[in-house]
Amino acid sequence: MRKKVLYAVLGVAVLAAAGLMIARALQTSLVYFVLPSEYARDAASFEGRRIRLAGLVEPGSVSFDDAQLQLTFNVTDAIETYPVTYRGAPPDLFQENGGVVIEGRFEGGVFVGDNLLVKHSNDYHPPEDGQVDVEALKESLR
Amino acid sequence: MQLELGVVGGAAAFLAFAVALYGAVVGSVGAARRDARLITSARLSAVAGFLVATVAVVVMEAALLTDDFAVSYVAQHSRVASPVWVKVVTLWAALEGSILLWAWLLSGYTALVAALAPLNPLRPWAIAVMQGVQTFFFFVLAFLANPFKVLPNPPLDGPGPNELLQNHWMMAVHPLLMYLGFVGLTVPFAYALAALITRRPGAEWMVMTRGWTLTGWGFLSAAIVAGGWWSYEVLGWGGYWAWDPVENVSLMPWLTATAFVHSVQVQERRHMLKPWNVMLILLTFALSILGTFLTRSGVISSVHAFGSGPVGPAFLAFFVLVVLFSFGLLATRWEEVRDRAELDSLVSREGGMLGVNVLFLALTFAVLLGTLFPLIVEAISGDRVTVGPPFFDQVTSPLWLLVLALMGIGPLLPWRKAEEQSLRRNLAWLLAGFVVAGGLAWLLGVRKVYPALTVGLAGYNLVSLGLLLSGALVPRMRLAQRPALQVLRSYAHENRRRVGSMIVHFAVVVIAVGVTFSSGYRVDEQVRIDLGGSVGFEGYTLAATDLFVDRTPQRLSAGALVEVSRDGRLIKTLRPRLNVFGGTGRAIPTPDVLYTPWHDVYLSLNSTVGPDTTFVVLRVVKSPLVTWIWVGGAILVLGTAYALGGAPRRVPARAAVPAAAAREA
Repeated sequence: MRKKVLYAVLGVAVLAAAGLMIARALQTSLVYFVLPSEYARDAASFEGRRIRLAGLVEPGSVSFDDAQLQLTFNVTDAIETYPVTYRGAPPDLFQENGGVVIEGRFEGGVFVGDNLLVKHSNDYHPPEDGQVDVEALKESLR
Repeated sequence: MQLELGVVGGAAAFLAFAVALYGAVVGSVGAARRDARLITSARLSAVAGFLVATVAVVVMEAALLTDDFAVSYVAQHSRVASPVWVKVVTLWAALEGSILLWAWLLSGYTALVAALAPLNPLRPWAIAVMQGVQTFFFFVLAFLANPFKVLPNPPLDGPGPNELLQNHWMMAVHPLLMYLGFVGLTVPFAYALAALITRRPGAEWMVMTRGWTLTGWGFLSAAIVAGGWWSYEVLGWGGYWAWDPVENVSLMPWLTATAFVHSVQVQERRHMLKPWNVMLILLTFALSILGTFLTRSGVISSVHAFGSGPVGPAFLAFFVLVVLFSFGLLATRWEEVRDRAELDSLVSREGGMLGVNVLFLALTFAVLLGTLFPLIVEAISGDRVTVGPPFFDQVTSPLWLLVLALMGIGPLLPWRKAEEQSLRRNLAWLLAGFVVAGGLAWLLGVRKVYPALTVGLAGYNLVSLGLLLSGALVPRMRLAQRPALQVLRSYAHENRRRVGSMIVHFAVVVIAVGVTFSSGYRVDEQVRIDLGGSVGFEGYTLAATDLFVDRTPQRLSAGALVEVSRDGRLIKTLRPRLNVFGGTGRAIPTPDVLYTPWHDVYLSLNSTVGPDTTFVVLRVVKSPLVTWIWVGGAILVLGTAYALGGAPRRVPARAAVPAAAAREA
């Protein structure tokens, strides 16, 4: 009987430790997927966090420094716009008004990405009148 | 064409569904009433079902190979210009076809069980369960994901299969291995349910399915390693495991199956851990279905997701049904299944096996949580999140180390209770191995915690294998007065399972070292090289000498010739390139790799190549010891095959089925 109690106590202790470890690991490695306007609304809570910023490449904002391999452009959802820097060549099918998802973090107002994905979905077309259906945009960039 | 292939195939799919349903119903009724005629009829239907399913597969292959675009699957996923091997493997390059393949393999295994398994009270139920599972798969095939729809206006050509899949021959192998693994593990699942239904929860069901279990486990292991290698060779980021949902869902059933393979031995020898074994195999099967749901329904977006449709909900419903039925059944049989004996001591072989179960279940839980967490968050708060690799690394790394530690000491522990003296001696040896290997690694400059610990544990495990072998060989050598090599040969021949397990454990050590170094000491850079120029990278010189364009009927390939040299000596010219396969017109980066035993140099082209190209941008990755993961995978498969080969001769003599059954009853 005493053995059983001992095992039970040990088991609970191990489970508690594991639970704590898992909770901490989850907290530090959750990566939120947000559009620029969503980021703007809640910038404080993303402070220093790794996020996946999704949006469209703003026309006329793209420049690529091929000596330094530095790609800069603005990502926008027509409500908010943020400058992005990414080290590397523009990927295949990277284009103005095209959908992109950049993974990285904000450093002083500039989003520094280390992973750049081009979303070539045909589901979303930027509207003419400037009105953006944020949910549809987000869905198309998923 | 006089008889449309689509019509024949569709009819075969429907007939296979009808036969499976017939077999499942008649088999169950026959088994419940002990009606030999019904049981025989169901058994024959299992063979018939396989023949009908084979017709469906042959028809699909014929349609693919003859470019019959009147068949919907061919129109959607094949292309005239594809080479023959691509057309053959297009069968499993998309959702409908892979369900056909899965169902066909399942019907094949069912027919094998019906034809080969010895007659006993479990067999009719086991066949009925397998036909029940078949019923589901053929239902999906015939009604929800029918690949044989006849198109009234067939196109002249199709888009071809997913480019990432036709970009590497491994795609011919990996899914096949995966399905062989899942289907193989359906056999012990079916026998476990049969054992619950017939109230015979003894070791009988496991002893009879041992070969199937090990085969399924071996295929699943091979599939996971092969998948890693495919992703390494194709995806262009220089890694092999990204904790992508698709990878995770293939890992989970493997984890529970691994626990099962270990845990069954305790029931065979000590008649304990019965509920564990039943639960582990039920979980393994349920997780393979859950995995199919998660990846095929599009709920978790991922490179492999085949898109949405009614198939996802069907798999979810089947998953719920499987869980409710099998765990419900287990609950009603709990009194018969639960362990009566208590563990004599945790420090014993069975204690070690219990540890294996706990560790692998913890790993399964961690992976499941990380995979499902985004769904949970989205359901609760609407936020879209992903759980990054750091989560999985942080949570699983300590557990993997514990697995390695247990793997070394477990096999050295005797059943029941370890004697303190021999335990101390063994532990001292193991620790010496740990300290020597870890210390050596430290002296050679390995300062990261996990790699250093892994090397230490590798040394510890090698010592353990040495102790196991010498413990077996030395007494035999004394007794037989024969040279060591002869004794080893006869020992290895007579104890295939034991020696096979040693080979597998050795393979795990090799893989662990490969994984920890390739992830811990990976160097990943983007470099720009002017044409005609060169850059230095980790002691190598990379010179972009020229561009090339390579055209075959099925694809256009454009890339750079990059000479990799070291100390002025040219080692190899690599050809990182972009492949375009028609269809979508998407350029698929296709890396090229310099394989060496110490580290790989991996080049992936990150810029486009055209007439006015003056420089290329390469992603360059150096991963130490990564090759040993594939080598270890091969050793693991060999070890499993060794354990399987010739097993029937000796093993049944010890754990004779009737005797075991009598004891249980």
